Amino acid sequence: MQYLDTAWIGVAVTLVMVAFVLLNIVRARGKEGGLYIRRIPGLNALDDAIGRATEMGRPVLMIPGIGTLNAISVQALSIFAHVTKSAAQFSTPIKICCADAAVYTVAQEVIRDVYQTQGMGDRYNEDFVQFVSDRQFAFAAGVSGIIHREKVAAAFLLGEFYAESLIFAETCNSVGAIQVAGSTHNTQTPFFIAACDYVLIGDEFYAASAYLKREPVLVGSLVGQDWGKMLIAAMCLLGCFIFSIDMTSAPTTKRVTVGEENGTSLVEFQAVDDSDNMEDGSLRKKRSSDTALHHYFHPVVSPGAFQDRNRPQKEEEGS
Amino acid sequence: MNLPLAAIWGQDPGSGALIGYLVGAFILGVVMMVAMTKMPTRGRKPSVWIATFASGFFYFLFWIWPSPINRGPSDLPVGFSEKVGFGLQDALPKVANIAIILTAFLLGLGIYSLLHVHLGRLFKKQKDWQFSLILVVSMVLMIIFGYWDWMQRQFNDPDLLLAKMDNWGFVNYSFDLLFDGLLQQMDAAMFSMIAFFILSAAYRAFRIKSIEATVLMASALIMILSIMGAVDMVYSNMIDSMTGGDPGHFLNDAKITAVASWVKNTMQVPALRALEFGVGLGALAMGLRLWLGLEKGGVS
Repeated sequence: MQYLDTAWIGVAVTLVMVAFVLLNIVRARGKEGGLYIRRIPGLNALDDAIGRATEMGRPVLMIPGIGTLNAISVQALSIFAHVTKSAAQFSTPIKICCADAAVYTVAQEVIRDVYQTQGMGDRYNEDFVQFVSDRQFAFAAGVSGIIHREKVAAAFLLGEFYAESLIFAETCNSVGAIQVAGSTHNTQTPFFIAACDYVLIGDEFYAASAYLKREPVLVGSLVGQDWGKMLIAAMCLLGCFIFSIDMTSAPTTKRVTVGEENGTSLVEFQAVDDSDNMEDGSLRKKRSSDTALHHYFHPVVSPGAFQDRNRPQKEEEGS
Repeated sequence: MNLPLAAIWGQDPGSGALIGYLVGAFILGVVMMVAMTKMPTRGRKPSVWIATFASGFFYFLFWIWPSPINRGPSDLPVGFSEKVGFGLQDALPKVANIAIILTAFLLGLGIYSLLHVHLGRLFKKQKDWQFSLILVVSMVLMIIFGYWDWMQRQFNDPDLLLAKMDNWGFVNYSFDLLFDGLLQQMDAAMFSMIAFFILSAAYRAFRIKSIEATVLMASALIMILSIMGAVDMVYSNMIDSMTGGDPGHFLNDAKITAVASWVKNTMQVPALRALEFGVGLGALAMGLRLWLGLEKGGVS
C-alpha cells in the first residue's frame, strides 16, 4: 500500500467496513431470534427447482463458473451444498461441472461431506462432481453436451462467468430446464436476466448462504455489509454536497504535472495566476480537478516523495 | 532481506542442487497430501485454517504495510518499517509460487477425474461412448505432441530455427494442426455461436409482457438506434432543421445519441456502481469469514 498524500483514506474506510462486519457478527451471536433478511425470489426458487427435478427424475446441474478457487467459487459451492442437501434427501441425481482443478477438488470434498452428514454416504458417486476442461469454450462445449445428453431438469449457474454464460443458459432453456443464475460480473448479469428464470443480482449472490442457513455468523456478516452500504451511500451524498459547494467558489490552486519518474506522474499544486484567466480577463471557473474531492481520489506524488538516492546500497559481487 | 527460500529459487537452472530441491519439494508435497488425507476431520480443519490464516495474514500485511516505491536494485532498507516493506515485497513472488505449485498438483486430480469418467464409459460401452473415445484420444495426442514440440523448441533449438515454418518437422506440423488447426478453430466456432444465442435470448427477453420488459425493450431500442449511423443522421438532421442549428436549443437533448448517453450515464452507470459496491462488500465479508475461520464452507 502506498500512503502518499491521501491514499490512507481508502485503507481507513475499508477497515471501518471490516469493523462493521465483525461487530454485527458479535451482535447476531448475542441476539435471540436472529436478524431480519428480506425475501430473495431467486433463492426461494432453489427448492422449487429441485422438486421439479425430483418429479421428472432428471438430474440437477450445478456450475460454479470458470474462475479459480476464490471467494466467489467458495460462495457458489456453499449454495451448491444446500442444493445437494435437498437433492440427497429426495435421491435426485446431481452433476457439478468444474473448469478449475482446485474448485473441482474442493467441490468433491464439500459434496462428499454433505452426503455423509446426511447419512447417505453410500449414495455418493464420484462422478457427481466432474472436471470438464480448463479452457473456456472447451468447457462450454463439454457442459452443453452434458445438458443435452442428460436432459437436466434444473440448472444452477452461480459463480464467475464470462462469454459462455449465454451458451449454458440457452442450452438449458432448449431442454426445458429451470434456471437459477447469479454472477458477480456485471457484464454477464444482463445475459442471465435475459435468458434465465431466476437471477441473483449483485450482492444477493453473497447473501445467499445467510438466507439459506440463517446462521448468526452469516446473518451478522450480511447486516455488517448493509451497514457498509449505508456508509457508502452517506459518503456519496456528502460527496455530492461538498463537490457542489466547492464548485461555486473561485479557484486558488491548480494541479500541475512537473515530471515523470518510472511511469509515475509527479504533481505539484501551484497558485492560480493571470495565465489561467478567461480570454476576456475574468477569472476562470473551477474545474473538477481543482476540487478537494478530486484531490482525495487522485493522490499527489510530489517530486520529493521518492526515496533518497543516497541511501545505503548493496555491495556489488566480487568487489 | 534474503529469505531462506531464496536459496531454493536462486539455484542455477539445470544444476544438480536445483533438481535435488525439486525432488525434495515434490516428495514433501506428496507426503503432506497423503498426511492431510489420512488426518481425521477434527485435525484437518484446524490445520487448514492455520494455513489459510497465515497466507491471508501475509497478504493483509502486504496490503497495509507501507511499500517501497521506485526501489533501486541495490537499495538497502533503512529502519524497521522499510525492512519489513522490502521483505514483504521480496517474498510476494515466492508466496504466489506456492499457490501455483499447489494448483499444479490439483490439475493432476482434474485429469484423473476426466479419465475416470470417460475411460469408465468407454470400457463399459455406455451410451455415447464414442464421444469419450474422441476425448481420450485427443487428450493423449495433445499431451504427446505438445510436450514433444515444447522439448524440441526448449532443448534442441538454440538458434531458434523452429521460429520459421520452413524448418518444421512432423512433430511441429502435427502440434500446429492439433492446436491452431483444430482446437483454436473449435474455440472460435463455440464463441461465434453466442451470436445466435443472443438472438434467441433477446427474443424471449424483449417480449412485452410486463412493465419491466417494456422498459427493457424501450432502452434496448434506443441503444440500438443510437449506434445505427443512418437512423442517427436522419433523426439528427430533423432536429437540426427544427432548431435552426442552434447548439444551445433544448431540442438538441432529444437527439437519439443524447438520449442514449443520458440513459447510459444517468440510469445505467449509477446502477452498476451500486452493484459493484455491493459485490465488493460481499467479497470483503466472505474473505474475512474465510480468513478468520468463521466460514464453514458447504457443510453446516
